[in-house]
Amino acid sequence: MQTLSIHHRASAHRTFERLLFWVARAATYLVLIAAACIFLKIGIKGSQTVFTSHWPFVNVEFFTEKPSTLYVFDWHGQKMELSDASFRAFKAAHPQEEIAAETYAHSAGGILPCIVGTVLLVSGSMTIALILGICSAIYLSEYSTEGRTIRLIRLAIMNLAGVPSIVFGLFGAALFVYYFKWNISLLAGWFTLAFMVLPVIITSAEEALKAVPQGFREGSLALGATKWQTIRTNVLPYAIPGILTSSILGVARVAGETAPIMFTAAYVVRDNYPWEVSKWTDFFFQPVQALPYHIYVVSSKIPQNEYTERVQYGTAFVFLFVVLMITLGSVLLRIRLRSKLKW
Amino acid sequence: MKNPNRFDRTRLRLDHLIARFFGANALVAIVVLALITLFLFREGAAFFPMNLENLRNYRLAGLEYVGMMRDEIEGHTALNRSLQDLRLRQMNALLAEKKSPEAIQAELAKFDAFTAEFDSAVDELRGVVSDLTDAVTAIKDKAKLREDALQQRQFLLNEGKRAEADAVPVTEIDFVKELEPVKAAFPLFESASLQFRGKIETLLLRPPTLPVKALQPRFEQFQKAARAYIAAFPETNRRLKEWNQFAPVPWIRSVTSFLFGTEWITNSFWQDWYGVLPLLTGSLLVSFIALLIAVPLGVCTAVYTSELAHPAEQRLIKPYIEFISAIPSVVLGFFGIAVLGETLRALTQWKALSWISFFPIAERLNAFTAGVLLALMALPTIFTLSEDAINSVPRAFKEASYALGATRLQTVFRILIPASLSGIISAVLLGFGRVIGETMVVLLCAGNRIAIPDFTQGLGVFFQPVHTMTGIVAQELGEVANGTIHYRALFMVGLLLFVLALGINWLAQLMVRRFKISIG
Repeated sequence: MQTLSIHHRASAHRTFERLLFWVARAATYLVLIAAACIFLKIGIKGSQTVFTSHWPFVNVEFFTEKPSTLYVFDWHGQKMELSDASFRAFKAAHPQEEIAAETYAHSAGGILPCIVGTVLLVSGSMTIALILGICSAIYLSEYSTEGRTIRLIRLAIMNLAGVPSIVFGLFGAALFVYYFKWNISLLAGWFTLAFMVLPVIITSAEEALKAVPQGFREGSLALGATKWQTIRTNVLPYAIPGILTSSILGVARVAGETAPIMFTAAYVVRDNYPWEVSKWTDFFFQPVQALPYHIYVVSSKIPQNEYTERVQYGTAFVFLFVVLMITLGSVLLRIRLRSKLKW
Repeated sequence: MKNPNRFDRTRLRLDHLIARFFGANALVAIVVLALITLFLFREGAAFFPMNLENLRNYRLAGLEYVGMMRDEIEGHTALNRSLQDLRLRQMNALLAEKKSPEAIQAELAKFDAFTAEFDSAVDELRGVVSDLTDAVTAIKDKAKLREDALQQRQFLLNEGKRAEADAVPVTEIDFVKELEPVKAAFPLFESASLQFRGKIETLLLRPPTLPVKALQPRFEQFQKAARAYIAAFPETNRRLKEWNQFAPVPWIRSVTSFLFGTEWITNSFWQDWYGVLPLLTGSLLVSFIALLIAVPLGVCTAVYTSELAHPAEQRLIKPYIEFISAIPSVVLGFFGIAVLGETLRALTQWKALSWISFFPIAERLNAFTAGVLLALMALPTIFTLSEDAINSVPRAFKEASYALGATRLQTVFRILIPASLSGIISAVLLGFGRVIGETMVVLLCAGNRIAIPDFTQGLGVFFQPVHTMTGIVAQELGEVANGTIHYRALFMVGLLLFVLALGINWLAQLMVRRFKISIG
């Protein structure tokens, strides 16, 4: 407002301009504050579950146990809150007493299987997506010449980016779960999520490859290297940091989506941890629990009260924290990369 | 390196192969897109023949016939509901006048007598129709049993077990004979309906006057509706007489009843309907609310950030918006259930807002709650792309504008926004695409009532619970058996969603291409 407004004809006009300026500013800050409300509410409520006031200050049980049913009952004037296993032990210790307990599903124990499941889903699907995505980006940026096929490929990538996530879920269910008969499994989830995140990876990888100066390639080619030697020694090493940095955003997306894994990979409850399989091939064909699906289950399938609230906010907090940390990592890495790589 | 020539040749051939390999990888996007289309079709396409069978059985088993009679009862129920609503309104008005409950009882006595008589007038007709309903559902169940047996036989035949297939009992159904008793009961229905009509007519001749004068117009509206309702009886009777059990159902009905069907009813004892219209309107309503909020906010934020903000503010806002876009949708949905829905309802209960006719709202989870959260999801998309569009306006445009003495805001509104309009419109379209395809927020927060929202309520429609296309797939696909008509209907909904998303995407790209040249 200060330097560029060269002359003001009328003060009414100026007031109007100032008003518009403040409207735009208010709109911007409204957005920021609305988001801050969400972060704060989940942050404050969730940290009450995740952290404790005494050593080790973190709710260890929440991070190391499976979800279980919470039993709440009154015992000689004392209010007891026990998880499934300890309630059974308690009953065994007091066999002669009738205990009328209220039960709350999923409200005791922790969320370790969900964390493990999400990590497995993300690492597997990102591996698939990175391999496919980088290879096709290399073709698009290094080999292709503009033409009909390339236009078609670009169109397909753009359209794939706009496909709703639930449609990926349906597709994954139809192809992997029913047609390939993989059932609801880790493998089906991997491929579904990988295809979903593919456009993000291809686009960002291509951008990173294009950012490598043309002179690097020309120098190598002039020395008699073949195309592949050039790419391998003079292009990829300089593009990989950029590719990985922007792929981190893909990680956030894969970790955050619920709809694609609902019918392809996720179960409400699993009795075993993923590594507890009898045959190693079973590992790929087992369903898993996942953080986003667990949030969906605990926020819609069980009633809202003070006991269930703990696990709801706690899970949401952990999940939101992880996703935001991944995003933060990508932002910071990008800033560092920009300042470091200058040619 | 004895023979450099051969070495070179293999090397070149290898290079060629590598190029091919990468080329094949590049095709993966096309392949995936094709596979999605193929498999949605593969699972969904069989819906239409199954739906046609469904519609044919509806007619053959006489459900359509008795359905017309049931509609008559439905009409009475709806009228009854509006009477109940009227009573509640009177009650509230009288309570507001600080009258005692006994006094209110006395004042409403005449109205209550009228209501009670109106309610009981239908009893006899209801009895008749209820018996007929049982009769036709029995026929329908028989048809269903036969279909299942046929399916089992086919399955066994496919397995190669001919003897066992022949052993499966399939009872043929003579639909004419089965329906005879139902059709024979028509005179019974006719006389009951005539009596019912007479009762209503006499009731309407001596309507009570309401103690609350302000509500009199509503009551007159009710009387008008009731007269129109009984006036339609002869028409129903005529249609019942003309009804033909064997009138053919054209195959196009299986498509139209899906695309334009106003009811999505599943697992019903009566008849399942797979009409996508309630879900489509729900999706569009929620998206409309979300865009109504997100477009002005997103564009304002983009303009502010790129043109008006201090550089320090810019450095804060851009990554912050990136964080907003990273919030997982299921967390937003949880926030809606746990906090936002209750907060919005508490806001509408505020005294200063009581002049708005649809406040306070009845349901905490409704289209508006979902819309607000979806706005937050669409906002980063709209913001980022609009900001890109504004930044990509050539610098010379801006400089020329300033050189002519325009102020900063004049430059923004007269130069920058018009020049980047195509980019902004495509940003809005892509935001729309994101919102209509979003699942978890609407599944958790939209209220999940499968009905076309009541648009006669004006803006109140925003606060009704709705169900959406994405929500229904997420909610029901896990519960249906593979290969049933319901399962296939859900895939058709997915296919429709896929087509819609592609259309929106295409439109956005068209926008960018068409108007890009004009920027120069």
